[in-house]
Amino acid sequence: MNELEVKELDFYYNGDSLALKKICLNIHKNEVTALIGPSGCGKTTLLRCFNRMHDLYPKNRYEGEILFEGKDILSNGVDLIKLRSRIGMVFQKPTPFPMSIFDNIAYGLRLRGIKKKAELTERVENALKHAALWDEVKDKLYAGANELSGGQQQRLVIARALAVEPDVLLFDEPTSALDPISTAKIEELVIELKKDVTIIIVTHNMQQAARISDWTGFLMLGELIEFDKTEKIFTVPSHKLTEDYITGRFG
Amino acid sequence: MTRERVRKIQSLVALSMSTLAAVFGLFWLVFILGDVLAHGMKALNLSLFTMDPAPPGVDGGGLRNAFVGQMMITVFATILGVPIGVLGGTFLAEYGRGTRLAMVISILSDIMVSVPSIVVGIFVYAILVRPFGHFNGWAGAVALSIIMIPVVLRTTEDMLSLVPWTLREAAFALGAPYYKVIIQVVYRGAATGILTGILLSIARVSGETAPLLFTSFNNSFFSTNMNEPISSLTVTIFQYAMGPYDDWHAQAWAASFMMTVFILILTITGRAVLKWRYRR
Repeated sequence: MNELEVKELDFYYNGDSLALKKICLNIHKNEVTALIGPSGCGKTTLLRCFNRMHDLYPKNRYEGEILFEGKDILSNGVDLIKLRSRIGMVFQKPTPFPMSIFDNIAYGLRLRGIKKKAELTERVENALKHAALWDEVKDKLYAGANELSGGQQQRLVIARALAVEPDVLLFDEPTSALDPISTAKIEELVIELKKDVTIIIVTHNMQQAARISDWTGFLMLGELIEFDKTEKIFTVPSHKLTEDYITGRFG
Repeated sequence: MTRERVRKIQSLVALSMSTLAAVFGLFWLVFILGDVLAHGMKALNLSLFTMDPAPPGVDGGGLRNAFVGQMMITVFATILGVPIGVLGGTFLAEYGRGTRLAMVISILSDIMVSVPSIVVGIFVYAILVRPFGHFNGWAGAVALSIIMIPVVLRTTEDMLSLVPWTLREAAFALGAPYYKVIIQVVYRGAATGILTGILLSIARVSGETAPLLFTSFNNSFFSTNMNEPISSLTVTIFQYAMGPYDDWHAQAWAASFMMTVFILILTITGRAVLKWRYRR
């Protein structure tokens, strides 16, 4: 089943600089979709279309459609606050807010008007367990989030995104700033999480894409060259460019 | 001579010259502070804080009026200056970021920081003293706040700009509107820096004399009426130091000492705050 359907999506930075060209793909529910490609190919640009992050900057423009539950999320009437609570995002570098671990996780919940201490406590605990961080932080929930290690911070951020119970999570190179052990933990977590959420992950690391994703999209120069089952992309890609890229001949 | 030796000699020369320069500067600083300390401590007594000035030429009395006046002027200047400075800095770093208007304001406030304070004094004299026909405390507070605003504004802008942009994006990605992102995330990240800037700007204006001479002037009697001339430590120091009486000189030293201590405390607090990290 499709969670998101991208139809003929064009994206322009700053009014006229075309960064995505006629992208069409379907994101499958409760599966992991990886977006790969050389630097500047538009994979992060595409990822940031799904939660309309581009709207933060003036003059960016979308054309085409992204259907989410049958409705176009690129249309003007969309409530971005609601959209972003359904489609969460995790960034390349960990982004803990300058507040306690508890307040970090509770941030999105409080934004949605949840004030009762009991409910907050319960949902914070659930989110931290969900992100496999609970055991490490349960005794210091009120310590500053900046005291955690990089890998823990990244799981904290994932817990923060999970706390509001999104349907989709977007990951923008979530492990590129982490050591191998933390990376392995995040990868396990991603595989674990797909039971509950649909995941789209941008990565520079092709082994990572091969390990954790079910579907892979290969982008180059703003075009989606190939989109297929991950095992097919990494074994018998139908496009010459894809093969050259995954075998390390360029990029 | 080997190249290594030449480098060592060059390094030695540079090191000794910079050390000498530092020692030279430090010498005068210690000299001034030592003088203030020695003379000030001698003249320090309880009646300085509890009594108002005695008539000229009569020994005794204190500077209660000046301490209270100084405090009132500084507090009102802070109440006026800090919100404008912080909000202005927020505009520059957030809502107006990258716009021409923000750039112009930023440059103008850099210029304002270095405008001689006496110019501010004359300006406020023209708009808040002359029209009313008499010196008043409000004019003094406004003059000091005008000196404060650019300092607070630029510090706020700099501190907000130091907060990584991705932190804002992360808050946006959770569905927060911009004003909540600023208040709940960005201000928190920059809080210690902004607070330090505020404390240092208070320290900066506490020592100002020139702008007060034209605005709040002085008052030999105890007064808390901001609509009337009001006494301040700095103007009193100026007046007493110029006066003919030994007792005045002693009190001016004592007031200078207290002023120095106050600014020292503010500066140390400012630095301590910077080291302090968010704790719950």
